[in-house]
Amino acid sequence: MTQTVQAEPTTLGTAAARRRGRPSGKQPRARTGMNARSNKMAYLMLAPVVILLTIFVVWPVVYAVYLSFYNWSFYTDPIPVGWRNYMNVLGDRTFIESVGRGLLFAVMVVPVQLVIAFLFASLVRTVSGRVATLLKVSIYIPTIVSGVIASIIFVLIYNYQGGILNAFVGLFGVEKQAWLGNVATALPALAVPAIWLGLGICSLIMLAGMVDIPATYYEAADLDGANWFQKTFFVTIPLMKNIFLFLLITGFTAAVQQFELPLVMTDGGPLERTLLPNLYIFQHFRNDTYVGYSIAAAILLMVVLGSISAVIFRVLNSEKAVDG
Amino acid sequence: MAVDTPVTAPAISEIGRTTRRPRGRRDTGAKGVAVLTGKIAAGALLVLLALFPLAWMVIAGFKSRTEVVATPFQFFPEVWRVENYQQILADPEFVRSMSVTFGGAILFTLLSLTVNSLGAYAFARLEFAFKNVLWVYVITTMFIPGMAILLTSFVVVTRLRMLDTIAVLVIPGAASAAHLFFMRQYYLNVPMALEEAATLDGASKWGIYRHIFLPMSKPVFVVVGMTSFLAFWNSYVWPIMTITSRDLYQIQQFLATFRSERAAELGMLMAGSTLAALPVMILFLVFQRHIIGGIKIAGLK
Repeated sequence: MTQTVQAEPTTLGTAAARRRGRPSGKQPRARTGMNARSNKMAYLMLAPVVILLTIFVVWPVVYAVYLSFYNWSFYTDPIPVGWRNYMNVLGDRTFIESVGRGLLFAVMVVPVQLVIAFLFASLVRTVSGRVATLLKVSIYIPTIVSGVIASIIFVLIYNYQGGILNAFVGLFGVEKQAWLGNVATALPALAVPAIWLGLGICSLIMLAGMVDIPATYYEAADLDGANWFQKTFFVTIPLMKNIFLFLLITGFTAAVQQFELPLVMTDGGPLERTLLPNLYIFQHFRNDTYVGYSIAAAILLMVVLGSISAVIFRVLNSEKAVDG
Repeated sequence: MAVDTPVTAPAISEIGRTTRRPRGRRDTGAKGVAVLTGKIAAGALLVLLALFPLAWMVIAGFKSRTEVVATPFQFFPEVWRVENYQQILADPEFVRSMSVTFGGAILFTLLSLTVNSLGAYAFARLEFAFKNVLWVYVITTMFIPGMAILLTSFVVVTRLRMLDTIAVLVIPGAASAAHLFFMRQYYLNVPMALEEAATLDGASKWGIYRHIFLPMSKPVFVVVGMTSFLAFWNSYVWPIMTITSRDLYQIQQFLATFRSERAAELGMLMAGSTLAALPVMILFLVFQRHIIGGIKIAGLK
């Protein structure tokens, strides 16, 4: 291939080179040799990661899509059922309700996270180095805590007898509550540890975005006599549009997929009020040996969340021009 | 994702420094004092909210079993007891679980650093056939949510006879497109000149990776290594699906089991949780400069 293309401009080459169809002696051959060696080395270096991803990510996806069209359990041959698994999922009120609940959960978690993160970032960028370090490390520490430990802590905080929260609301004369046992408070009670666990990363991304805004914008605003609110709403927030969008979508998809907290804290109860979609799929998988249904549900959820991720990725890639 | 793309990870204290407006003017007078007080209050509130649950966990570890949820509520114990910590440390299952998880996390971290940095180097610096196809292939895996493949991954590891071995915890998650992407961004910013000089000296591509890129990878290895270690240490769902023998119980699995089997031992549960959170806390505090500095958003704007 390369040789035929390069064979054309040979007028300057030596006779020998011309006979071989090469423009000028050794160089191209050296390059071809390099390429072959480079190819081999590259493939050797890529092999581990590509093989592992193929076995443990790509193949499971392909296999999941395949199985979603079959009725199959570990002990039987798969029987093709067409779209029936998907129809069953879409006709299952428990699943549809769990997705709705996931969206509601995201609405409880993400805006609070964004607002706290924004205030945090606004504060940190005005304080001195050492205080800023202390604040950044403090807010990031909950991110290190596992979902299981967070669950253990918050279940006891919500405890009916002697829990801190009941002691706290008792100061204001509020009756004791079974926070996780009450259908009205269970989901918000689950949202609090979710906010707590995710706040650190959200805040630091927000801060990194905020310090990227050139100081000259604020100097200009100062000259015009703008106050803090005007600077926040007319300078900071518009310039951080991409950051907000990114945090909004990643936070949203993470919240809808929240799984460990309800698994450990409530196991979906009371009356399925904390049965988030992934927990529902997981429970179904554990209780039903025919896995086609669970897989179809997981794929439907993936398609919804995947579309959202694709949208952010495109939006973020296309609106680079916003910065100064 | 594109969040973490450190070029040169700046020190934690440097974020926020570059664009800070000149101060002083605003810090004088009654208004300045009010603003300062407001800032201190807001900062203290944030620190309190972030750390209160953890502080409570540590302190509850010093309480007797009934005191943890005693009425009326008391934040500090009547008597500070170290028995809970002593007992949980004397529990062979707890100690074994901590050791097995620690060993697994080290293996997982090393494997993750090795396979992802090799791949990252190839994508950053080598030219080869089908590079774009392979790149798209690898990066696409970043967008697949865990739940979509959780069930069939379980089928795959069952077929590979990996269930209930340490391999099922270490191998499947080691290759990560997100980590590879992060490392590649870092390698792309290594100056070409170094490599060209080495090539003139007759170094092979492998030699360049081994002697130039690996030694320079420390900051990015800290971030990726810490993330991998943490992911392994904190994982719960995958272990409860794949590990059944108590000898291999992971630490999160141990805590959840302890909680359901010995529900009355709340003081010990809190002591165990504190100790289980300790290794990753220490790691984080040691490397916080790199980790927090690693959160840059060069890819985002």
